[in-house]
Amino acid sequence: MGAQTSAMIDDTSRPRLEAWLAEATGATRVTVADEGRLGGGAISLNLAVTLDVDGGPQSGRHACVLRAQSAAGIQASISKGQEFAVLRAAFDAGVAAPEPIAACADPAVLGAEFYVMRRATGVGAGHKVVKSDQPQRDLARELGRQLGRLHRAGPDTPGLGDLPVPNPCPALDAVHAYKAWMGGVATCDPVLAWGLRWLEVNAPPPGEVVLCHRDFRTGNYLVKDGQLTAILDWEFAGFSDPMEDLGWFCARSWRFGRNDREAGGLADREDFYAGYEETSGRKVDHQSVAYWEASAYVRWAAIAILQGRRHTSGEEPSLELALTGRMLPEIELDLLRHLKAIGTLTTEAGVG
Amino acid sequence: MRTSPDARELLAISLKTFREELLPHIPPAQRYTALMIANALGIVEREMAGLDEAGHTMLGALALLYGEDADDSLSGDDLRERVHGLQHRLCIEIAAGDFDHGGQDTVGQDTLMECLEEIVHARLGISNPKALNP
Repeated sequence: MGAQTSAMIDDTSRPRLEAWLAEATGATRVTVADEGRLGGGAISLNLAVTLDVDGGPQSGRHACVLRAQSAAGIQASISKGQEFAVLRAAFDAGVAAPEPIAACADPAVLGAEFYVMRRATGVGAGHKVVKSDQPQRDLARELGRQLGRLHRAGPDTPGLGDLPVPNPCPALDAVHAYKAWMGGVATCDPVLAWGLRWLEVNAPPPGEVVLCHRDFRTGNYLVKDGQLTAILDWEFAGFSDPMEDLGWFCARSWRFGRNDREAGGLADREDFYAGYEETSGRKVDHQSVAYWEASAYVRWAAIAILQGRRHTSGEEPSLELALTGRMLPEIELDLLRHLKAIGTLTTEAGVG
Repeated sequence: MRTSPDARELLAISLKTFREELLPHIPPAQRYTALMIANALGIVEREMAGLDEAGHTMLGALALLYGEDADDSLSGDDLRERVHGLQHRLCIEIAAGDFDHGGQDTVGQDTLMECLEEIVHARLGISNPKALNP
């Protein structure tokens, strides 16, 4: 990582940030060292910071990440305050989420909502994580266990009152959201139109809703010496059908070329599912996961459209965002392959 | 009037030079950005060369679905407008449920899937031909 510092913490804002952190952590004094922007934040701004805390329960030196809302967030993401509450709920449930430290809703401090969490170490880049001669069965199983623990949290979990509860059906709620994100594209791209229609016709009926990560996939967790160290990027979290996270995790989009290892490019689905069943207290519903995998491709397509639009609108010119917009045909090919593979679902469960 | 070398030729040699002479020497921290530039220019190159061909493939796939002949004489904006019009019509029919059941008398889901696959393949030929290999 370059030592490029951020415009967010400068000589004017630093004293405000330090004073706010001292109050939030019950310290007499906090000193912040800004170590520059961290990668992996297409939507949020992630800064590596080291806090020197004098006094109070957190006294000592802490390697942290300061995560702020970027200039132009996207519709799919929750606020930084909500994200902090989700992180707290996940951490308290025993999930390997980075430890949340403090959240600030006052834009007067840094100009945007932000929170501070402990910095985890490890490799995150998907193509590096999947690189392995042998299937990474233990890692796949551990990720399943983590997800199972997360899914024990739900609308009744303290601190999550701000998150919207799907009404009435998570699957159809999701389809409506995708349509809204796509805008006009949904009426001129027949592959997406077919995907949306298929999701409407085959939507599973409403059932139990739990706290879902909604971007739980290879590329969004850190691994060190083959061991999971942290699950990142909680900005899409919300209440939904628990099978949504399993379908997303197993989608081809996040296998980074290891298509033979269907659980995130790591191992077979069986290992991931077994870990999930160990901690979640529920069985994996294979048909529902297949539905949510179809939903995953349509959602990823909708997000790619939103990302491309952030560039083309002139709001946030970026080569990475522009190229994400151009990934649509690839995502659509994966969607068609998946629908072809599970095609019988339509006639069995279809309306009429 | 033709300028020589033309835009395509200039782009091709720029991309070749970038890939062969610059890319190997780019420091690791900037390599991802450099690869993105090469990727974007590759898309531009394929789009300049093959947009009409992709359009005709898509038109052929849509014409098959609607039992019409594809008009080979179309090109450029006229071609794209025709493809856009048919795609829009298809989207409306799909959303209305016209393809929910694979009927024997009407055009069914199998034909629709073939058409959609051809459309995606034509677009992938420009945006990422590598993804066409299974």
